[in-house]
Amino acid sequence: MLNTPFSLTNDTLRISRRAALSVGAPLLGLGLADLLRNRAAAEETGQPKKKQRSLIVFWTHGGMTQQDTYDMKPHSAPEYRGKYSPIATNVPGLSITEKFPRQAQVMDRLSIVRSVHHGNAIHAPSAHWMQTGYFGPTLARNAPQKPSLGSIIARSCGTPGSQMPPYVAVPKAEAFGYQGAVYLGAAYNPFEVGADPNADGFSVPNLSLPQNVTLGVAQNRAKLLKTFDTLRKDIDSRKVMDGLETFKAKAIDMITGEQVREAFDISQEDPALRDRYGRHQYGQSALLARRLVEAGSVCVTVNTGYWDHHDDIFNQLEGHLAPLDAAIATLVEDLTDRGMLDDVLILCAGEFGRTPLINGHAGRDHWSKCFSVLLGGGGLKGGTVIGASESRGGGVLDRPTTPHDVHATIYDAMGISLETHFEDASGRPISIVDTGKPIRELG
Amino acid sequence: MSPRRWPFSMMILAIAACTPTASLRADDELPRPYFEIDIVPTLTKLDCNSGGCHGKAIGQNGFKLSLFGYVPAEDHEAIVQEARGRRINFAVPERSLLLLKGTNAVPHGGGVRLKKDSVEFRTLATWIARGAYSAGESDPVVERIELSPREAVFQPQQGEQSLTVTAYLSDGTSRDVTRLAVYQSNEPDIADVTRDGLVQVKDQSGLFAVMVRFGEHMTVFQGTVPFHTSGDASVASSPPESGISLIDPYLGAQWKRLGLEPSVMTSDGEFIRRVTLDICGTLPTPAEIASFMEDASPDKDARLIDRLLERPEYARYFGLLWADVLQNRGRGYSTSRQRPGTALFSGWIRDSISQNMPYDQFVREILTASGNQETNPPTVWYRTVRTTSDYVESVSQAFLGVRIQCAQCHHHPSEHWSQEDYFGLAAHFARVGRKGGFADAEVPTNEVIFLAKEGDVRHPRTGKIIPPRPLGGPDVDANPYVDPRLQLADWMTAPENPFFAQTMVNRMWGHFLGRGIIHPIDDARSTNPPTNPELLAALTRDFVAHKFDVKHLIRQIANAKAYRLSSTPNASNENDLQSFARYYPRRLKAEVLIDAISQVLDVPTNFPGGPGAFPAGTRAIDLPDEAVPSHFLDVFGRPDRSSACECERVDDPSLGQALELVGSTEIQKKLIAETGYAARLTNDERSQTAITQEIFLRVFARVPRDDEAAAVSQFFSEEADRAEAYRSLLWSLIATNEFMFNH
Repeated sequence: MLNTPFSLTNDTLRISRRAALSVGAPLLGLGLADLLRNRAAAEETGQPKKKQRSLIVFWTHGGMTQQDTYDMKPHSAPEYRGKYSPIATNVPGLSITEKFPRQAQVMDRLSIVRSVHHGNAIHAPSAHWMQTGYFGPTLARNAPQKPSLGSIIARSCGTPGSQMPPYVAVPKAEAFGYQGAVYLGAAYNPFEVGADPNADGFSVPNLSLPQNVTLGVAQNRAKLLKTFDTLRKDIDSRKVMDGLETFKAKAIDMITGEQVREAFDISQEDPALRDRYGRHQYGQSALLARRLVEAGSVCVTVNTGYWDHHDDIFNQLEGHLAPLDAAIATLVEDLTDRGMLDDVLILCAGEFGRTPLINGHAGRDHWSKCFSVLLGGGGLKGGTVIGASESRGGGVLDRPTTPHDVHATIYDAMGISLETHFEDASGRPISIVDTGKPIRELG
Repeated sequence: MSPRRWPFSMMILAIAACTPTASLRADDELPRPYFEIDIVPTLTKLDCNSGGCHGKAIGQNGFKLSLFGYVPAEDHEAIVQEARGRRINFAVPERSLLLLKGTNAVPHGGGVRLKKDSVEFRTLATWIARGAYSAGESDPVVERIELSPREAVFQPQQGEQSLTVTAYLSDGTSRDVTRLAVYQSNEPDIADVTRDGLVQVKDQSGLFAVMVRFGEHMTVFQGTVPFHTSGDASVASSPPESGISLIDPYLGAQWKRLGLEPSVMTSDGEFIRRVTLDICGTLPTPAEIASFMEDASPDKDARLIDRLLERPEYARYFGLLWADVLQNRGRGYSTSRQRPGTALFSGWIRDSISQNMPYDQFVREILTASGNQETNPPTVWYRTVRTTSDYVESVSQAFLGVRIQCAQCHHHPSEHWSQEDYFGLAAHFARVGRKGGFADAEVPTNEVIFLAKEGDVRHPRTGKIIPPRPLGGPDVDANPYVDPRLQLADWMTAPENPFFAQTMVNRMWGHFLGRGIIHPIDDARSTNPPTNPELLAALTRDFVAHKFDVKHLIRQIANAKAYRLSSTPNASNENDLQSFARYYPRRLKAEVLIDAISQVLDVPTNFPGGPGAFPAGTRAIDLPDEAVPSHFLDVFGRPDRSSACECERVDDPSLGQALELVGSTEIQKKLIAETGYAARLTNDERSQTAITQEIFLRVFARVPRDDEAAAVSQFFSEEADRAEAYRSLLWSLIATNEFMFNH
């Protein structure tokens, strides 16, 4: 899909943004989607330059069940297969849960990796593993040890010119603290929005000049602060001072400029589009994420609810699956309409999946031997299934995939060299992917 | 586990019964493997019974072992009996499914765990060949393990040390279990450890511990990697002369051992700011600073500390911190209903601190509280702490400094706590009765707490009733007329209790010095040793000898030389994070920070209350619970009070904090208030120099440097609007790290 100007989906001829540029695209009979696409094309003049890709993550904290979503086992015994039936998608032969009818219609632009595994079954170490690529925290020490995917992307791709925070968590970062930057420095921690984008009158706290402060005054104050903020930062070996100083400069830039406030102003969106994303936290978070990457953020993590369904899983899932479906599917459609799908990667993952066998409390427990993640956009091939689980879902049947393989796929698509190393606190260079390899089948 | 001993003759018989009976190909070179001593630890070492594999609650592919092998009888049944015995092949032991799976000869989800011909393989095969016996009553048991060496001092950034672990058995024999023990380092950046027990020093210096576990026995190796080897001329040999506190010699000895030279003493201005913030959560005023600086008497620090301890802000500030630990939580139900309760409890805490109530009595009154919130405010503790797990976890974390959560479901993997310990502690609360109250949401308010006639706690696995037993303590006599909570309080507050006083000492140390001697402060374990055990023991003894006098404890700590050291590092201690050879700076806590801003600008913060507002002048440190809305407090890390862990209060920097400084109306409102300090300065007739001096004293507790004074003059000559000039100057000083940190 990356190098092909036209790609045939179930019934529409779609034109990638870059292809539209090279062709010039004076097509007739354009709908709104095409107009948007053309506007995007028109904004760029001259030679198409390589655009920085970005990533939107849907993090399913607690561990989403793979068996009831992206890797169904309809032919296994009832105590394994669960309550839901599979439905066909717009990709022949690929089925997903009936609870994801809207993703089923855009499956040609999404791919499922069904063979992710790491083998740890405790929330904290697993969440660390999936989000940093490394096993790390132990009982002797559970503090975050390696930087998260988003922090590495922020550090590698954050555009110095932009006032946008490179890495944003909506509505806030996951509770373990494994979405942070650790030794990359506090500047690459996620910016936590701090408010629910679905709330009435949603706004990011403190993102404008306070009363009676003109731009000139703000600039004077910033200059003075620079003069007086001279305490040796190295006296604080935990680097809290260092981080605060960086953030102060960033905050001044954000507040004295327009770009960031505009980006967070979700009320500028068409109410009909907002309805399609869904008037719930997942949907509006996804929409906000799109606005943010459009404005220059390179990674936005949408933290969805808690998926740790040990008990009564099928009732518990009711509140989660439809909103997640609307959020992801509408994001794919919206990005497509704007000609941005090739520029934005989508990942949906949690720390692990859930046990194939339903337990005595009608729930599923932690399962990390084989589970699924969803990948799409960013030039990755859609409609593909990578790897396979065993007949009842227990282990990897085919093409085992590690957390670092998933990360490597994303870094590779984003133009981040897989040779990249960052020094930890002791000065030891740590690889961003270790032995991970990009999933070539998606290239 | 209590050691079991058996008459010698019985043992002979038992061994005879276990000798191989036929021509099974037993490995004669190996001593007879015992199930609990050899087999279970082998499975542990191979990770078979870990939480990700067969050790998890539902097992793995139908084969379930107890987590880390803590229930050997069940493990034996799973291996030998279950699945119609197909896991064991007595005829050809090497063809046992257990071994075929382990070696991946038969496809195994866990891959190759076991190499053929390895010692582990031979041990398992021999055990099968000789009958795959379970733990017989005559089997010897492990009485203790010994580690050699138990400690070592390494050269900076180099060196290895292989550990040897010996198990001593109840039959008087011993054996080397180095291969079977499990190892874990608590500071992998200083030293790591291989699977075989080889400790390898990395490139950082400091103290580290390696946890060594064999079965349910644990021990710890303690390593020291000095920053500079002795004889290094750049390191001064003697710490500064000792002060009046008992602490200094202990730290001095450690600095010497580690090759650390302490930083110089800090200035008077920095010290009065530091200690006023730490004891009263308040900035010193310019007048207080000036008079302290002028005071030339040798005991002026001690007198300052005494004065601060008598100020009402001491009780208000520590009242806030204790309300965190005691989970005086307002969220979760209607604010107007719960606020009276949180206000009463927080008032009770403040009063108790103000009266310097001995710490043992303070905790006893909370633990044993009965009645309702009006008659006995500490009953409010029971509002947030209301389930079996709440009782156990809050009590152990807040008062015993122990994290016992793991033991709810299984043996604690890095400490000796078992489910019996967990539910034994829970049983002390089994008779807590509740009645009345108003429940409009998840948590009732204003309940009456009383001692119910009966109530018990059952072991989740065996279903047996577990009698009350404090952590590691003796069984207590169950008596219908005695509140089991009293028995717990008696045990806790006894002078010889190993946890209670130590936890308080460590908590206070962490408050003043920025890090516990045991770190984190509520994670005391034999496998997480204190960085200075002698110091912790001495302070604990002193605290107990002074009848749990908290002000005495604070005096001991605040008068120590270490607390007077500058935060500026020297060449030798810049990487020290554990030994207090300099003061570790930290950001002001959320409430202290907003109060400090209010104090400098002389404009109080308005906090919305439930039905109305809090009275004017209410400080953030006075707020009764965490449910008082304040974005400033949330973004700067006010804790949620949903657990007894101090770790809920965070000081990580964030963009949200910077936006609060730069963009919030909170600070701007104080800058433009007509009655505020900034407005007053606009009409101040004094010279620019005098005003600048006062501002710097007020904000930083020091006079401006020449370059700073020049920058102020320059700015005032450029800024025509004098009122805005003062606002901008004050804002820029408040937003500095120097203001936002205690240093």
